[in-house]
Amino acid sequence: MSAAAVIAGREFRSFFRLPVGWVVIALYAALTGIVFAAGTLQPGGVATMRDFFALAAWLMLPVTPAVSMRLLAEEARSGTLEALVTSPVSDAQVVLGKYLGALAFLVAVLVPTLAFVVTLWFVSDPRPEAGPIVAGYLSLLLLGGLYLAVGTLASALTSNQTLAFLLTFFFLVALLLASGTRLDFVPGWAQSAFYAVSIQRRVAEFAKGIVGLGDAVFFVSGAACFLALAWGALESRRWR
Amino acid sequence: MIKAAGIAKSFGRVRAVRGVSFTVEPGQVAGLLGPNGAGKSTTIRIITGCLPADEGTVQVAGFDTRRDSLDARRSLGYLPEAAPLYPEMSVVGFLRFRARLFGITPRDRVRAIGAAMERCRIEAVRSRRVGHLSRGYRQRVGLAAALLHDPPVLVLDEPTSALDPSQVVETRELIRDLGRTRTVLVSSHVLGEVERLCSRALIIAAGTLLADGTPGELVRRHGGPVRYVVEARDEGRKAEPALRAVMGVAAVREERAEGPWRRLAVEAGTDAPDLREPMAAALAGAGVPVRELSARHASLEDVFLRLLRAADPARENAA
Repeated sequence: MSAAAVIAGREFRSFFRLPVGWVVIALYAALTGIVFAAGTLQPGGVATMRDFFALAAWLMLPVTPAVSMRLLAEEARSGTLEALVTSPVSDAQVVLGKYLGALAFLVAVLVPTLAFVVTLWFVSDPRPEAGPIVAGYLSLLLLGGLYLAVGTLASALTSNQTLAFLLTFFFLVALLLASGTRLDFVPGWAQSAFYAVSIQRRVAEFAKGIVGLGDAVFFVSGAACFLALAWGALESRRWR
Repeated sequence: MIKAAGIAKSFGRVRAVRGVSFTVEPGQVAGLLGPNGAGKSTTIRIITGCLPADEGTVQVAGFDTRRDSLDARRSLGYLPEAAPLYPEMSVVGFLRFRARLFGITPRDRVRAIGAAMERCRIEAVRSRRVGHLSRGYRQRVGLAAALLHDPPVLVLDEPTSALDPSQVVETRELIRDLGRTRTVLVSSHVLGEVERLCSRALIIAAGTLLADGTPGELVRRHGGPVRYVVEARDEGRKAEPALRAVMGVAAVREERAEGPWRRLAVEAGTDAPDLREPMAAALAGAGVPVRELSARHASLEDVFLRLLRAADPARENAA
């Protein structure tokens, strides 16, 4: 088994041994459940989960930094990073393993929400279209994957979990605001650049059930860029 | 084998390690000894590949820690200071994780974990959470993790710092046993630890290697002249002149007097042979009854303090 997979497995299991893992799962399920019950499960309404996915995407903002903040920051604070980087494991494998473990946990966070899909499936007539639902979950994974990569970078930059959380959260909020708002005071080329990296525009496309290859590539390559930066940040610890 | 050649490391303007060179061969337990801030931890972290050196090279089991970093790390068992572990994991779960990380095959894993637990006497806590263990047990779990892949080189940073006296004795015995076939480098600031455990001592201060040799060699080389203690019934005050007349005696002074008994400290000159026999003969010739005549060799502690004072005159003045 590759070292990255070993690290990912340990990381994934560790979320279930810590209160923070269960709290994240419970809060995410509870909040999305309220929206599903109040907004989606309406007698006579259209069988669609568009409202659910819209809120689920916004909830990724606090959830992903809460998951990613401890990935490398806690290892550095507790000293376990020293034992990890002196094992026969490359820094790239450490970063990838940590990220994949967090991504697997994000899947676990989404699993309870499948109960809403099943519920809607059985109570609706006609039944909801499968395409937008699959696309919705895919968008949450792609979005969460990008956010987690940003969080992995923040966690590699500091040994303080709170700081890692705040760095990730405010960076993501700034990214969403800059790319989702029409900013008249910035030059045209900057507006075009913000539009090109707009996350909200892409999430809206997914919610319609449209899974564009370009959009998927945007999220995956964005995550890869932030992971590469996290790798660089981890390497730089040796030189600091 | 561990081979450090001219390693140097600075943090900003602070020169933590300045051109340190040494070699530790298989079958040796070497103690890296120094006061706080001497550069021990930085040296250890460079050897384990945790930090790169600004200058110089390190080889672990023949592998350059920069060029063949992964091979060097495979050959190394490392117990960091304070044995950092994952508190949420069980002891056996943690060891299983470390075994997988080192690529130990599933077939060998059970045997390796069992052997490491037995050696470090932690079978009784195998299912306990690491976070619920005492510091002593955590230290032993860290040691077991360092031994899992049966490495030819072991680097142990303060391996007995958290242990109770009986555990200290057991762990020293284990490290001595491991050192029979492996290269072991132990970092410590406890002089007695190095004196009892190590066949070789490396004394470091202000980032510079001050001395390197067996504790006996260091005492001979840096311990200064041998002192003798003489306790004699000396009402006629004949002992002092008799001792001064012995060839090789540099100085004699009275330490204390109890009734007719006087306790004298005799300092031998540099390179003087064992003076006990000629001193006994001189005292007998002078008709002085003696109830004690013994040699006092310098301890490693004396050597350590002497070297530190020589390296840092401010410390000498403070003392």
